[in-house]
Amino acid sequence: MRLLAGGPRPLLRRWMSLLVVVAGLAMAVGRPAAAAAPALDLAAYRGKVVVVDFWASWCKPCRQSIPWLNEMRSRYAGRGLVIVGVNVDAERAAADRFLHQVPVDFELVFDPEGSLATRFGVKGMPSTFVFDRDGKLVDTHLGFRATQKTAREESLQRLLSTSAP
Amino acid sequence: MRRTCLALLAASLLAGCANVGVKPWERDVLARDDMQLDSNALDAAIDDHIYFSKEGTSGGRGFGGGGCGCN
Amino acid sequence: MRVQLIMADKDLKIGAALTAATCSLLGIAAPTTAFAADPDAKWDVDSALLYYGESDSRVKDLSLGTHATRDFGDERKLGLDLTVDSLTGASPNGAAASGGAQTFTSPSGRDVYSTPAGKVPLDDTFHDTRVALNAGWSQPFARLYTVSAGLGFSNEYDYQHLGANVGLTRDFNERNTTLSTALAYGQDTVKPVGGIRTPFSLMGDVTGDGDDGGGSVHKNVLDALLGITQVLGRHSVLRLNYSYSDSSGYLTDPYKLLSVVDPVTGELVARTPGGAPGATGLYRYENRPDSRRKQAVYAELRQDFSGKVLQIGYRYSTDDWEVDSHTLESRLRWPLGETSYLEPHVRYYTQTAASFYRYSLASGEPLPEFASADARLADLDAYTLGIKFGHVAPSGNEWSARLEFYQQKSKPPAETLIGTQIGHAQMPDFNAVILQFGYRFKL
Repeated sequence: MRLLAGGPRPLLRRWMSLLVVVAGLAMAVGRPAAAAAPALDLAAYRGKVVVVDFWASWCKPCRQSIPWLNEMRSRYAGRGLVIVGVNVDAERAAADRFLHQVPVDFELVFDPEGSLATRFGVKGMPSTFVFDRDGKLVDTHLGFRATQKTAREESLQRLLSTSAP
Repeated sequence: MRRTCLALLAASLLAGCANVGVKPWERDVLARDDMQLDSNALDAAIDDHIYFSKEGTSGGRGFGGGGCGCN
Repeated sequence: MRVQLIMADKDLKIGAALTAATCSLLGIAAPTTAFAADPDAKWDVDSALLYYGESDSRVKDLSLGTHATRDFGDERKLGLDLTVDSLTGASPNGAAASGGAQTFTSPSGRDVYSTPAGKVPLDDTFHDTRVALNAGWSQPFARLYTVSAGLGFSNEYDYQHLGANVGLTRDFNERNTTLSTALAYGQDTVKPVGGIRTPFSLMGDVTGDGDDGGGSVHKNVLDALLGITQVLGRHSVLRLNYSYSDSSGYLTDPYKLLSVVDPVTGELVARTPGGAPGATGLYRYENRPDSRRKQAVYAELRQDFSGKVLQIGYRYSTDDWEVDSHTLESRLRWPLGETSYLEPHVRYYTQTAASFYRYSLASGEPLPEFASADARLADLDAYTLGIKFGHVAPSGNEWSARLEFYQQKSKPPAETLIGTQIGHAQMPDFNAVILQFGYRFKL
């Protein structure tokens, strides 16, 4: 079983971030029309702690994780926390219905074809990838459990307490 | 002998299943209530009660699996 | 009759307990995605009022069932089931139709009942109420495992069931494959009205004092299940199960008889009751083996077609009583707009007779070791055709109505027929109507 705990190797992580940026740019440039091409430029968040959370309207634990992410954002945005939610619903309408019921305070990217999910190597829903201020992937969480909230918040606090490069 | 064959079949099914399936983010349809294998739990229980009261055999449906695959 | 309805049930009560308990476990193990108006609602309650009515004066059952699940967060779930049902009406007592009227002593031994000439004898002396309770708990155990455990209990006038079950599931291949195992054990106690009959003893006269003998007998059932659930694609999921069941103890139906007939003509041998009213023919109480081992394989496919879901299931079962069966069943959930659905249902069932099934016994011939004339152990075919309609209100609560028709046809194996029976053997075939109203709500 491939494990996620360590995440991809350091060099790979850097290339991944770059790839995502390039892909995002390429797609943005190549398709000016309506098809939602997910653009996720992690380089833009250098110096901040970035949490990338993959979620979907049909995923029940995601419904629990979003209020918690909202809370984290409200508490720590001032200290440099950025949360990016990547929605992987195949149909935008389903995501919109969900957003009516569960408000999201953080930035959203729509990835209906799952290309970002593939690049990030999402192994389960929801999946959260935490990047430190240097843009390095330091933590990956598979699933969301209420019992993990405290530990995850503490780890975010630790990352936020490091100074920006 | 029969048991060994069954065990081997189960093992090979499990191994063979390794490449069949969907990505974790492609489970929207599978997560729907009507796609759950136990979606009609009460109806199924009622039917089972009627059928094994009036017929010679029953049971076998089991549980677990499918769904959104979350957490 | 109530007890006869349940007695066949009794052979498979653990199957029921397992199914019911695992059904409750199923209810709590599966995630729901219906985002009801109150997303913090913790209890999900499904209730149904059911009427089951067979043709003529036969069995009628009215039952109220509820299946409630409580989500404690992080996939920890509690399931509770409560069913109460009340049974009336007549069911076949195993005796064969005869050219003349027949009189039988009722199970309590205090009364008699009669059957007109040419009709399949039915016993209508029972009506009973049954209560059944099931509870199940399931929770994750490490990320890819789920454990579950449950208890079951049911009680009626002459029968009590106690059962326990445990289960484990483990996911593989990014949760595309799930392996499940379950084990259930049940202990049933039967206290037949009128006492425990000696196998093949003759039905006698009315005994005024209604002395039961008051005995009770036991039955134990062990069930094991192994299953694989496999996601085949974005729109389909397949389940394969293997199950094994081992019953031992008192498996006989204490109220069922066999007619004793003339070995040449096949006509009922008459009996003259003593001073009191009583049986007017020779009838012997049946006797079944004290163990039954059953194996079954089950496959179910659920396939989505742009919002419509087709469900097809097949089960093959075989046991050491030689009752082999095939069941083929299908449902199609057809959404009507955003809030309603229609769901037609068909089922076909066929079984082969138990090795000891007899239409009747011939007088003068040595008694077999085991014999039963219970039509539920004969060669039989059954068909179900039904339709269900459901509607989801804006509150998220759902009401539904289900109407089904069931038809059962059986035939005795030719080798058990004697003399004139070959020409006119009658099986207690029947039709039944099932009408159910359901309401599902969150608390």
